[in-house]
Amino acid sequence: MKPTTASARTRQLGNYICSSCSHQLRRQRRGYASVTQSIKPSIYDVVCVGGGPAGLSLLAALRSSPATANLKVALVESQDLSKTRDFLLPPNQFSNRCSSLTPSSVRFLDTIGAWKHVKKERVQGYTEMQVWDGISGARIEFDWHAEKEAGRGERPIAFMNENLNLTSGLLKRIDELGGVEIMDRERVENIGFGEESEEVDLRMWPVVELNGGRRLAARLLVGADGANSPVRAFSGIESRGWDYERHGVVATLETEGSGWGGDASKTAYQRFLPTGPVAMLPLPGNYSTLVWSTTPALAAHLKTLSPKDFIAMVNAAFRLSPVDLAYMHTQASGQADEFSWRAQHTEFDMQRIPQKAVGVQEGSIASFPLKLRHADTYIGERVALVGDAAHTIHPLAGQGLNQGQGDVESLVKTIEFAVTHGQDIGVEMSLEQYNVERYAANNMLLGVCDKLHKLYTVESGPLVGLRSIGLRAINSLGPLKAFLMAQAAGTGVKIL
Amino acid sequence: MAFLIRQQALRGALPRELLAACAISLNSRHFIVLNRPPPNYPGHVPLTRIEKAGLALGSAVMSLMDPHRGDLIAALGEATATPYFIYRLRDAMLSDPTGRRILRDRPRISSKTLSMEYLRALPENTVGRTYADWLDREGVSPDTRSEVQYIDNEECAYVMQRYRECHDFYHALTGLPIVREGEIALKAFEFANTLLPMTALSTFAITTLKKNERDRFWKIYLPWAVKNGAQSKEVINVYWEEQLERDVDGLRAELGVEKPVDLRTIRKAERERWRAEKEAKKRASDSLGIN
Repeated sequence: MKPTTASARTRQLGNYICSSCSHQLRRQRRGYASVTQSIKPSIYDVVCVGGGPAGLSLLAALRSSPATANLKVALVESQDLSKTRDFLLPPNQFSNRCSSLTPSSVRFLDTIGAWKHVKKERVQGYTEMQVWDGISGARIEFDWHAEKEAGRGERPIAFMNENLNLTSGLLKRIDELGGVEIMDRERVENIGFGEESEEVDLRMWPVVELNGGRRLAARLLVGADGANSPVRAFSGIESRGWDYERHGVVATLETEGSGWGGDASKTAYQRFLPTGPVAMLPLPGNYSTLVWSTTPALAAHLKTLSPKDFIAMVNAAFRLSPVDLAYMHTQASGQADEFSWRAQHTEFDMQRIPQKAVGVQEGSIASFPLKLRHADTYIGERVALVGDAAHTIHPLAGQGLNQGQGDVESLVKTIEFAVTHGQDIGVEMSLEQYNVERYAANNMLLGVCDKLHKLYTVESGPLVGLRSIGLRAINSLGPLKAFLMAQAAGTGVKIL
Repeated sequence: MAFLIRQQALRGALPRELLAACAISLNSRHFIVLNRPPPNYPGHVPLTRIEKAGLALGSAVMSLMDPHRGDLIAALGEATATPYFIYRLRDAMLSDPTGRRILRDRPRISSKTLSMEYLRALPENTVGRTYADWLDREGVSPDTRSEVQYIDNEECAYVMQRYRECHDFYHALTGLPIVREGEIALKAFEFANTLLPMTALSTFAITTLKKNERDRFWKIYLPWAVKNGAQSKEVINVYWEEQLERDVDGLRAELGVEKPVDLRTIRKAERERWRAEKEAKKRASDSLGIN
């Protein structure tokens, strides 16, 4: 990291020192840098660090677009990608890390030719959404059956999919296209600037050093390397935000049936509890995936429960009052018994809550901390950030992965433009359009989810009444609801 | 009696789901008097909002005129318990392990479930003995409590029933007598503790008290009631049936309730002083007459 700070200092000095003198300063630094770094870096047009959904779809998109197919691209990933490639689970097992893919993400994946490689029998679209307030019971129902009656055709609100199914499909597409140098099981040791040699001057180019000793110089270095992005750290871009003091508990559940509407019409359910929202999202058949945002202490407690009691807690979370839930969280065991008693004395409408969970897949209960982060900018000189490296969002709207896909789509479009217009794809000026397109849109979504989280963690007082009136009002205002649905699906009018 | 037993059997036979379904249908739509929905539990009388308001007003006025009408006070309690208040009390029970156990077991207090002989045989200063002594001193029986009829939610109806049946235990715990003055003091305590509106409304009966009684209420019993009712634990969560053999002072300490100055003693002392004064006055006038 030393060269980074040194060069940043030089750049800062640039404001005060005339250009020829600062050039001299850089030249002096180069003198000893070239002594220590003897291996010559190989030069790439695009080096992508991170082989998650965002990184892989970037490479698939670049390779499938005629304009960018000739770029020399490389992927660096610390995990073993062959496991992802060979992703195969029996039809009665699902990975616990699932994401909701909006129709606009699916359209993009289809355009780049990756969607056909995703195992469709493991993807579940849903056409209905039930969201309600855990304290007042106020409810909003999103249902695209009404749209169908209006003659616009039934479209799913979103598709539930295992992250592994997506990355595996993307890898297959990349393999099919070929031309990507994949360096998996390789850790990034250091990212710094290159040096000047006889043929080429790489002093302004980022160079990625891998633990295998390889060095990759990038015309454009893309950080798709997650929330603790090394690429972002190299570029000196700050990421700001806060932790929610919440954990998301995930699990794969088996329900008593395949949903009230059967396989043809599946519903996603979300209830806002004072500790955070709990969501049950449909997977094919009798399976559902759970995302339960709750305090770290309660999340830890949930993970200690026996499967029977865990299932009871999940069923309770969608049915019982917050008072009952708070009490059941204090029990070391016996939640199953407590739930069966309380369910008799609690009023709920069976058709508007998820079917009872009857089983939880072994080893699928896990949790992760929830936070909000947003990088100050997505671009730097020869650097672009996509996906979680640029932003981390609360999962309550299921938008995290879709934001990443939106980033990739926009970045690829920007690169295409630069290539077809003969620009250098790495300079900040060429990348500007990507930042302009994505930053405000992502920032708005981050803000909306953040405010929703904060609004619904209030347990009592006038705010509970106001938010309930608001939710009921939106529920009865058809056009407003349709607008919100279109926005959530990513198919609506662009407002930012 | 036979009718009561039959109702009990009916309650056992009705599936819980059916009861819950009835409760939902009741909550989701309002009805008119001409098509009254079926009861949610045996003895339940579903009322419209207007009927409830009328019941509250009528029972409030009538019970103020005749405070011996316990049935009217009970009706007032039920008519004003919703919205919010009875649910709050139920949630207070649900937040407490013992309260939850009470809601699960649904014990009832009557001379049938509590044997007076057993209570009288308990050692001095136990909860049970204090209760029996209080009943004997005041000359009342635990069987005078009427059934809840106007609360729509069957669990909340039980909460109200439990509060009502435990009322005499609160008397025993605080030692307050059933004279009007003692009842008002206890109602003030209950309001600070349970927040049931009927208990607050009942304290309006101070307007019917004598001046010295009223002064005593403002000076001694209201401050006591507010302080103890608010700072003590929720007394609804006491499983009285399990506390009978326990030392009553230990229970008071656990709940954080102080026993107030004994009202009967004060009243007796006051009465004697008044009599003595009258006697003295009479004697003085007599002696004047001789002169």
